[in-house]
Amino acid sequence: MASSPETTSPALPPGVKKTAPAPPPSGLHGIVAIPMITAAKQFTRSLWRPSTIVYPYERLEDPSFRGRVAVASGRPIGVGEVWDNYRGVHALNITTCISCNLCAFSCPDTCIEMVSVPTEGGKTKRCPQIDYGKCSFCGFCSDACPEGCLTMTTNYTLTTSRRPEMVYSPQRMYSIYHSKLPMNPIRLERPENEDCILLDQDLCIGCNACARDCPTQCITMIDIPKPEPAPGQKLPKRIWKEPSVNDADCVRCGTCISVCPKECLYWGARP
Amino acid sequence: MSATLYDVAYWISSHLLGALGGLPASSLPGAWGVGATALAWLITAAVVFAASLVNILVLIWWERKLLGRFMDRRGAMHVGFAGLLQNLADGLKLFRKQVFSPREADPLGYYLAPTAYLITSIVLLGFLPVSAGFVAGAVPLSLLLALAIFSFAPLFIFVGSWSSNNKYSLIGGMRTAAQMVAYEIPLLLSVVSVVILSGSFDLGTIVQDQARDGWYGAPLILGLIVFSVAILAEIERIPFDLPEAEAELVEGWNTEYGGILFAMTMMTDYIRSLVGSYLVVLLFLGGWTLPTWGGLGILSSFPLSGILWFQVKTYIVFGVFVWVRAALPRVRTDQLLQIGWRRMLPLSLLNIAIAAGWVLAGWPHLTWPSV
Repeated sequence: MASSPETTSPALPPGVKKTAPAPPPSGLHGIVAIPMITAAKQFTRSLWRPSTIVYPYERLEDPSFRGRVAVASGRPIGVGEVWDNYRGVHALNITTCISCNLCAFSCPDTCIEMVSVPTEGGKTKRCPQIDYGKCSFCGFCSDACPEGCLTMTTNYTLTTSRRPEMVYSPQRMYSIYHSKLPMNPIRLERPENEDCILLDQDLCIGCNACARDCPTQCITMIDIPKPEPAPGQKLPKRIWKEPSVNDADCVRCGTCISVCPKECLYWGARP
Repeated sequence: MSATLYDVAYWISSHLLGALGGLPASSLPGAWGVGATALAWLITAAVVFAASLVNILVLIWWERKLLGRFMDRRGAMHVGFAGLLQNLADGLKLFRKQVFSPREADPLGYYLAPTAYLITSIVLLGFLPVSAGFVAGAVPLSLLLALAIFSFAPLFIFVGSWSSNNKYSLIGGMRTAAQMVAYEIPLLLSVVSVVILSGSFDLGTIVQDQARDGWYGAPLILGLIVFSVAILAEIERIPFDLPEAEAELVEGWNTEYGGILFAMTMMTDYIRSLVGSYLVVLLFLGGWTLPTWGGLGILSSFPLSGILWFQVKTYIVFGVFVWVRAALPRVRTDQLLQIGWRRMLPLSLLNIAIAAGWVLAGWPHLTWPSV
């Protein structure tokens, strides 16, 4: 033989010999008897308890399933938990929400809408409202949330027969937050070389819009010296202030960039 | 012997008409008597039809549950007790759908085929005895008639598939015709062995002979196997469901049928499965009788026990069919022809020789032949 299987298959690591697959069983024994016996074994094994559960009436979280079902992580499912990083319905802590809009911005399904929520003192603030008819449970919103106030719980029973009930208001997600369901771990660490807000000083007119709308109030307007105009030169018409961003408090929401009327703020590498 | 189904129906109809006309029920005059007879036949047919349809529903449920366990799941669970009414719900859903035909289809053949397929299969239920009394029309040659009507189906399947004007349907219909060549002869030859032992073409007589002499499944085990395999091909179930073959042809010969027409073909498939199981039980497994030796006679002594045991046997036989369905893959057409002509035909001929040998040995009282 000119070529044997060992020499013609380069994918095999050295020292491993390719063995020919066993020929399929043939004859009445192989074609009829073995499959019939296999089916009968499966039938008797399944008679007492099939692998499937009767879902609405039985759930994997039920105590009778404790330790029975191994998930991909190798851990058995215990009582009251599904997976520790299961992405179920959201929980929202309204009190820590800073209305930064990052969740709605990061949502690929555009299912998050920022709606007004009354807070203490007669004021309102804008918090996310989620339409679960559109949500794909990707978890980008909770990853993007800089304050860790929007997280996902392990509750997966969202069944309803009416479409309006699929829209969860911030208050409803706040009550889910209070029900102390197991939640996804909140990740607040940020990359080292993160972009920050930079200012083009020639374009700025000192209008205060960025400082007014910053959810973390990390922008302060500082006075800048009014230059002496050269003869024949006209000074630009502006307020002689410019924003100063406290980079430690900034959550990178980009609100200041979007509200700037002169497009003088931009993302850039930290100087 | 207890009263037959027709006797009960005639008693009801004659008393009904007698009460209507103020006449004695025992001797209705002239046209009243004819009317009572006609009404009795109607009642009998209605009872047999209704009982068979309920039987079909339970049979499909039985298959779904068994198949579920074979596949490590549960089958229908929600509608009715353990999903018993799921098939009724499915049928109602199909019943409410629009009846339509493809634009290029031939309407006559398209609508006629499932209707004739259904009717010829329902007729079978009319003269297959379910117990000594529960039979609508007992005819002397019921076995021949049953097999003759049973083999009508490929014709209608072919007509329906051709009229659908769909290539997948047509391939399915062609396969039905090709398949018939393979199984029909071993089927009939294995029946011949039963007729040799019993000496009768009447299913009732065959069952009574088995109750007296022992079930024919024991001396004719070869015939039982050949007949079961051939009946599997006849009722077109896996592994011989070449005309349907969902994996290759979209839905087989009934691809273009929807709504109630599909429900009719589906129901007919199961009527034929039921009739096939009936025939196995009637010919080889003693029909509605049970052995009476020892203390076993008490099992078949209570009223309607014949119907009960016949159904139990039928469901066990059908369960074996489901087992085969769960285990074996579909055969190709050439493999089916090989099985039919090179395996089952010699086996059925051998089976006839064995049956002749039993008769020669003096069945059922065996002695060495004195020749």
